[in-house]
Amino acid sequence: MKPLLNAQNLVKQFPVQAGPFEPRRILTAVAGIDLELYPGETLGLAGESGCGKSTVARLLTGLMPASSGSISFDGRELGSLDAPGLVRFRKEVQMIFQDPFSSLNPRMRVEEIIGEPLAIHGIGTPAERRDRVATLATRVGLSPDHLKRFPHEFSGGQRQRIGIARALAVSPRLIIADEPVSALDLSIQAQIINLLQDLKAELDLGFLFITHDLSVLRHLSDRVAIMYLGRIVETGSREAVLDRFLHPYTEVLLSAIPRIDGAKEHRVIARGELPSPLAPPSGCPFHTRCPYAQPVCASEPPPLEEKEPGHAAACHFSKDIYRSKR
Amino acid sequence: MAALLEITGLSTRFKLPGGELRAVEGVDLTLEPGETLALVGESGCGKSMTAASIMRLVPPPGRIVSGSIRFKGEDLLQLPEDQMRNVRGNRIAMVFQDPMTSLNPVFTIGNQIAEGLRLHRGLSKKLAEDEAVEMLSLVGIPAPRERLKDYPHQLSGGMRQRVMIAMALTCRPELVIADEPTTALDVTIQAQILELLDRLKEETGMGLILITHNLGIVAERAHRTAIMYAGEIVESAPTDELFGNPLHPYTRGLLASLPENAQPGERLATIAGSVPDLKMALAGCPFRERCPICEEVCATHHPGMKEAGPGHLVRCLMVP
Repeated sequence: MKPLLNAQNLVKQFPVQAGPFEPRRILTAVAGIDLELYPGETLGLAGESGCGKSTVARLLTGLMPASSGSISFDGRELGSLDAPGLVRFRKEVQMIFQDPFSSLNPRMRVEEIIGEPLAIHGIGTPAERRDRVATLATRVGLSPDHLKRFPHEFSGGQRQRIGIARALAVSPRLIIADEPVSALDLSIQAQIINLLQDLKAELDLGFLFITHDLSVLRHLSDRVAIMYLGRIVETGSREAVLDRFLHPYTEVLLSAIPRIDGAKEHRVIARGELPSPLAPPSGCPFHTRCPYAQPVCASEPPPLEEKEPGHAAACHFSKDIYRSKR
Repeated sequence: MAALLEITGLSTRFKLPGGELRAVEGVDLTLEPGETLALVGESGCGKSMTAASIMRLVPPPGRIVSGSIRFKGEDLLQLPEDQMRNVRGNRIAMVFQDPMTSLNPVFTIGNQIAEGLRLHRGLSKKLAEDEAVEMLSLVGIPAPRERLKDYPHQLSGGMRQRVMIAMALTCRPELVIADEPTTALDVTIQAQILELLDRLKEETGMGLILITHNLGIVAERAHRTAIMYAGEIVESAPTDELFGNPLHPYTRGLLASLPENAQPGERLATIAGSVPDLKMALAGCPFRERCPICEEVCATHHPGMKEAGPGHLVRCLMVP
């Protein structure tokens, strides 16, 4: 099967200058990552703040040009698309945002918000659009009388439903959702997760799901990629990465989650904090915090290589560390 | 042993154009020295307003309309303002959720930590500075003497939260109220901060009220847990008991809706609807419209707290 979305060696660098007389420096937000996403599949991208996961979302939606590397959608290279081709690409790739408060225009009514992508892409007559908007609203669990209202009249969960309906309006083939449930309350979060799950099954969409919450990640993803300082450090099927992890950072992330059963013995704590992406550590980017670091980790960057079929990790010592543990 | 904090019948309301909003309604809480009490609920349930009421920092147009807050036997609500100022930050301290907005951006952190010491303990500038260095190293900030001259924006989120905790602890308070202390932080840093709070609690014997919506943190850290809904405590019990034997339909719903309690890909249990309008007159049980087990009587009778087991209180008419 051909991948729906294929990104190769993607790099994004930002020039930063702390003040007018400070030197210009280069911040590497995404440092050469490969991603493939197949139709009907959900890929979960996880990592802590500042790891570059939201930059990846912007690059893949074409909202921001990559510094180098290639992105192709449905076999066509993004950089080679002409203007109409780009418009079509933007119709087929839609985004769901984290903050349901700032991602909806407060001056537009719900029906205008959901219908706007249809109008922009010139789909249907105004009457057909109205019908489509009504269908979408019902599908995401809004009632028809909600359509005349403004965003401020809704709770966070309801607003996220509006954002989801807007993303679905033009029948995209790929949805990129950047932390779609992390701003929501617990009981509402479950409602939205169920909605996303249903839509996924119903519409056969490709889904790129970006989150820092590994329990939500486990629940929604088929495949998982873990990012650290702009690199993918481990990727594979959900079970492989989350149950048989081969990278110490994945282990640290998983063990840092406070557990409902109150068990704390499992905890492996990372030392210190995320290094500045302006001055990334030499060798393995995680070696400054890694509980298992060896001298070689400070000099040799480990490649992301397949350790078992379909399961890759970027660590010199995966086998040594985790063979004894399992 | 006398309780460190004993709240009875606390109600805090806001006079708004559309009516009176019941932010906190008849809250009873007890905290022993050295104990961690978790206050859990969704946004708007009144957990932060309960904290603000304890500190007597309810923003207008809100006010405390009834109840008592006994801190070591003394009713804080009866204290004159100047004596209350001596309690605030000195004997009861708060750690807020967002360290970026709760620290003053135009003062160095050394200045901000020393402020409490000079104000409450009358230390000289020099002594206060030494004490501030000690506090910073206690909370695990490397090179604390140099950090004193830093402004909040020069520190990372985790470091700022450590500074907030250092500020809260400078005067060795007997009670710390931490309002979502790790919500703005990444999980690896969250684990470090929670370990730190636990360690400091052991060292100083202070009581801790931990306000959070993260049930995992509660399960790991709290001795006792109180679940709030629509301004009221609907269930409270020792934490193990609460997670092992949840009785209130809201508590059960919260626990069931966690992705951790479901198989991957499985539908999550949800609590239908959303939180009721707290400006409406209180008739019956505030949870009844979302409740899977409610009956007719719930619409007319407001449930009181009843004891369902040792130390296990629940506010539900349907629980025997």
